Amino acid sequence: MSGCGCPGSKTMTFEKAEQTETGGAKTSSPSQLRQWPVQLHLVSPVAPYFQGADVLLAADCTAFALGDFHSEWLAGKSLAIACPKLDANQDVYEGKLKSLFEDARINTLTVLIMQVPCCRGLLGMAARALKESGRKVPVRAVVVGLQGDIIQDEWLEG
Amino acid sequence: MNEYLRTPIREIISRFPQVGSLLEAHGIGCVPCSLGTCPLGDIVDIHGLAPEVELALMTAIGAIVAPGEAVVLSARPAASSPKKGFSPPMKTLVDEHRLILRLIALVPAVTASLDVHAEDDRQLVVAIVAFIRNYADRFHHAKEEDLLFARFDRESDILQVMYEDHANGRACVKAAVDALERRDPAGVTDNLIAYTEILKQHIRKEDEILYPWMDRKLSTRQVGELFSAFRKIDSAFSEEAGRYEAFVRSLEDKFASNDAEVA
Ligand SMILES: [Fe+2]
Ligand SMILES: [Fe+2]
Repeated sequence: MSGCGCPGSKTMTFEKAEQTETGGAKTSSPSQLRQWPVQLHLVSPVAPYFQGADVLLAADCTAFALGDFHSEWLAGKSLAIACPKLDANQDVYEGKLKSLFEDARINTLTVLIMQVPCCRGLLGMAARALKESGRKVPVRAVVVGLQGDIIQDEWLEG
Repeated sequence: MNEYLRTPIREIISRFPQVGSLLEAHGIGCVPCSLGTCPLGDIVDIHGLAPEVELALMTAIGAIVAPGEAVVLSARPAASSPKKGFSPPMKTLVDEHRLILRLIALVPAVTASLDVHAEDDRQLVVAIVAFIRNYADRFHHAKEEDLLFARFDRESDILQVMYEDHANGRACVKAAVDALERRDPAGVTDNLIAYTEILKQHIRKEDEILYPWMDRKLSTRQVGELFSAFRKIDSAFSEEAGRYEAFVRSLEDKFASNDAEVA
């Protein structure tokens, strides 16, 4: 294994207790998603579900890493997802985030990213949009470990 | 020991004084508390101790109050996420505490040289009282009482202690003003110093115990709502707040330097 490969794409396997596949028959964990679309390129800050909302800006991978993504993180929030490493035209993203602060007058923004370094870009984008915005709201930065643990959870300075 | 979790701490400490020393050793200052009605279980919960520290403390308390019985921990879920630090609205209250503490630190020097028969000195006391009443009370305590505390159980023991501190502080200031009108220097000094003692302890309780506990209980939505409600008040008060900050700075120039010369 190369010692200087990108940690964002390094191959790893995590040992977990054997679980049986239920084939989608189980519905005991209802979805907390209350909107469509969700991708940051596709959503509009003027959409009704963003007005005055608590918004979750989640890096794509977080929903797969967290065991309780729906119940703990998405519940009660409106959602936008993005990948700061692979998505194109990311300059549009910053403008949309600024518009969420100023036009949608959102209540809070929670930025959920993975611990890999490339994911920090999403947090940086949110921080810049907040700095540029004439309206301030609390922004919470949460970093998720590769095995779904919460590594960091803090509020950004307004 | 289950019954002891719901017993007011004052009762426990008076029956088992060693419990008071144990709590003090963990930085939980219930012994000098003016009310002491908080149940033991809530006190341990509210301090947000690490699970292993809480287990050790409860084991030690259990050995004193109910020897031989199984240890029962408070019913809160184990802390699963790392500490967040103060949320933005809580941070503004903590920042306001800093200005209040800066003023409080100057009160001993101001009262030491106070001449109640000199118009300038009387005006200085009036200005300090105006800071306390307008900045500390009408601005800061009103945000706490009307917006923050209102989101919690007002009847809870911990909030009753906070309301009582606010009320005691107001009573001391009123007594200092009355003493100034009577030209009673000891009355002015004693009551202003008593006010500073109440507020120093009160701010410590809020910064170290109450606010961190409240921040753990507040939902993200509530944090956002408090933030915008505080901002509305802050922007309406911003000019006045600026004047009070300048006032504290001018007092520091005048009195803190005198202290430095003595030291
Ligand atoms: Fe207070
Ligand atoms: Fe306070």
